[in-house]
Amino acid sequence: MDALNLASPRARHARLGKKIGHGGYYILLAVTICCILAGAGLAVLKIHYGYSLIGVGLFILMPALWWRYYLRDVPPTDNTLMGRLSNDCLIRLQPSVSYSPSTLWEAIRTDTQTLYMTNHLLLSTDGMQGCFSEDPDALALILAAATHIADNYESRTVEIGHIAAALLEDSPVVAEMLTHMKLTRADLVAVTDWLQRLFVAVHTKPESFGGVGRDWASGFTPRLNQFGHNLSQSIERHGAHFGALVDSPGVRDMKTAFSQGIGAIALIGPDGIGKTSHAYALAQNVLAESQDRTLQHKQIIELNASSILSAAREPGQLEFILISLFNEAIHAGNIMLFLDDAQLFFHGGPGSFDATQILLPAVQGRAVQLIFAMTPHDYEALRATNSAFASLLTPVVLREPPETEILEIVADAAGQFEGRHNLLISYAAVKAAYNLSGRYETDTAYPGKAIRLLEQSLTHPNHRVIDAQSVEAAIEQTRGVKAGTAAPIEADELLHLEDRIHERMINQTRAVQVVADALRRARAGVGNPKRPIGSFLFLGPTGVGKTELAKAVASTYFKSETNMIRLDMSEYQQESDVTRILSDGQHETRSLILSVRQQPFSVVLLDEIEKAHPNILNLLLQMLDEGQLTDTGGRSVSFKDCVIIATSNAGADSIREHIEKGEQVEQFETALTDELIHSGQFRPELINRFDEVVLFRPLNPDELAQVVRLMLREVNTTLASQNISVELTDAAIARIVETGNDPRLGARPMRRALQRAVENTVAGKILRQEANPGDHITLDAGDLQI
Amino acid sequence: MFMLDLVSWWYGSGWTGRLGSTRRRLAGLAEVFSIAILLRTLFAPWRRIVTYPGASIEARLRALSDNFISRCVGFTARFFVLLAAAVSFVGLCVFGVLEAILWPLLPLLAILLIIKGLL
Repeated sequence: MDALNLASPRARHARLGKKIGHGGYYILLAVTICCILAGAGLAVLKIHYGYSLIGVGLFILMPALWWRYYLRDVPPTDNTLMGRLSNDCLIRLQPSVSYSPSTLWEAIRTDTQTLYMTNHLLLSTDGMQGCFSEDPDALALILAAATHIADNYESRTVEIGHIAAALLEDSPVVAEMLTHMKLTRADLVAVTDWLQRLFVAVHTKPESFGGVGRDWASGFTPRLNQFGHNLSQSIERHGAHFGALVDSPGVRDMKTAFSQGIGAIALIGPDGIGKTSHAYALAQNVLAESQDRTLQHKQIIELNASSILSAAREPGQLEFILISLFNEAIHAGNIMLFLDDAQLFFHGGPGSFDATQILLPAVQGRAVQLIFAMTPHDYEALRATNSAFASLLTPVVLREPPETEILEIVADAAGQFEGRHNLLISYAAVKAAYNLSGRYETDTAYPGKAIRLLEQSLTHPNHRVIDAQSVEAAIEQTRGVKAGTAAPIEADELLHLEDRIHERMINQTRAVQVVADALRRARAGVGNPKRPIGSFLFLGPTGVGKTELAKAVASTYFKSETNMIRLDMSEYQQESDVTRILSDGQHETRSLILSVRQQPFSVVLLDEIEKAHPNILNLLLQMLDEGQLTDTGGRSVSFKDCVIIATSNAGADSIREHIEKGEQVEQFETALTDELIHSGQFRPELINRFDEVVLFRPLNPDELAQVVRLMLREVNTTLASQNISVELTDAAIARIVETGNDPRLGARPMRRALQRAVENTVAGKILRQEANPGDHITLDAGDLQI
Repeated sequence: MFMLDLVSWWYGSGWTGRLGSTRRRLAGLAEVFSIAILLRTLFAPWRRIVTYPGASIEARLRALSDNFISRCVGFTARFFVLLAAAVSFVGLCVFGVLEAILWPLLPLLAILLIIKGLL
């Protein structure tokens, strides 16, 4: 049995409606009018055929009306598939075709709803016909799935979008394509939801909110119109766009509070959570209110503190304006005032003033309904400075919605950006904005931060399409981080990271490999995104390359040695030093948090970590575990793009003993770690937080000779300005190693030895004019001034 | 088939659809003219322009008279809007009734006129 009965009357009517079209309708109307007028004229002239002409005109009017009221959009009839298929769908399907999923796709692939879905999933409709089954028997299941999707959306009709969604969801080839684009079936469902919300918004008739006489029982508000912005009027003029937010818990709480006679609400939420959007949503909700007399026909007016302040040019004028605004609102009787950034009315920071004494009578008397929007920090500040006033406000705390809801809000905002900028924003971009803003924008809340990031990505279109790469480019530009997938050149560099590090590091192969592996994991996106890129505890004697490796990581991975934040933890031995880590800049102008906030993509080097105060080590636990710290002002900063390297000389003697016994690092590293824990030098919870504990072994004379060669490169770089180069014979190098070698200090004395031996010798030669520009000097052991 | 479909629609959902349309138009009219609000606030002062009574008898009398005038203005404005609404309402009702009566008669009228012309 055919799943589609395209010979049914409804299907026939839909096709007939398309054939007649608007053109046919107007022709029928014109013929009707002509017949009636001509017939009337003839009848007046006593020509009897005139009546017949009028009759014909009336007959022609009937199909015109049939088209006008029925055929142009055949309504659904019953609950069967053929009774529910949308008019658009019926006119695309031909009774002469035997449909399979593949031919059904071909029939609907150019429809706007199908294109909306495929474009936002970045699927090309051209080559997709092969993605669907050719088996006509498979069609029934697809149509049943489409009906089920329509039921889920409580849609009376089965739209083309529902069929497209069913086809795409059913196809294993499409599933594979989505996987390749890092999308899932859930994302396909989310795009269908997105289309459905748009469809409902487009097809919902504008609401009427009371008619001509609604505000005649309320007072005039000329001053409020001057200084405020009427949110309700804005919704009436431009349409209601606040979707699910209108019935959100925040809006419901505010409405319930006002219904119960509460006069003032503190709408509390961090920046980006949508306090203003909630005020708009409340305005929309109240406009549609038909039951509650306390809220019916109320208008919400937003007062802007800065415009009020700028209008007050003379002393006392500010108070006068404020009093007149509140009096006007009270007298009008239908006004709710929304004070955005309400802390500005309570003397909270630059550009603010204290209006508490003016606000107090209005709040106490409940003469006008007030909404004070503020951040949790500002609310706490108000409670601390003016607890009496704060106690009069009923707090309504806004919380971040769940992920699916945030993605819906961001997708809807994307729809508005698309219209405004004539761009296509893919769903992958919406998801990337959500993920990347969550990772890098820790100061603000969802959904605002994701919407802001998406807006920033509009300047990085890829052939008029905003995709995940556009969002990554935006975050890389604004935050200076690497968010995207490694480009081929960079991937090659990452694969050979050890070689690049060894250009400036001698041996310590295991340490270099462990660090390189962590960096590769991070850039390939397989590391834990909620923790720093890598965290390492470098243990070993002085002068074996611990700090050098940290510098090498900054230089090779972060492209500059300046991308290193270095803290000598021996300077953090007091409990009070915690503030020097966490300061938000108000009291201490330098702190670890401020440095990371300025340069989030860095190596954080914590030298001699064992010397830090235990409270500071506790902070490090949080930093290593959660990838973030909170400053003294309550703002968090992310360490998720940092490589954390802690160094310590603890266990240096033990390492030396093991190496002298001829053991390899891998053989004793676990035993040494246990030993450090048992001896109380490190707490086990700290050791366990690091990704790796890396042991550095002492350098032998051969390795020290290689270090000398590396250092000589630096000397030659300095001498390059004199156009002189120096070479050391093996005997000279051996001499320097012999002089500079100190088993307790590793390679560190080697630099002094090299300076004394080479630089002093060369300086003498230059001054004695034995060395001139262009000379290449070869120094033997005997030439060195040691 | 075409004529059969047209006629069955004409005397079925076409006719009932016209009746439903008139009902929706009347509801829309009531909303546009804010009839419920205007009736509820028929004697309320115009745009809340009121004078608050002072302590003296003279001030009280003046407030009484001012507020009476404001209420009269309010009543007059609302009354005329209600009147306009009533006229529109009646007009729409008459149109709706005529449409409901003439709709089923239109095909018959067309046939009659054609026959009359031919005879």
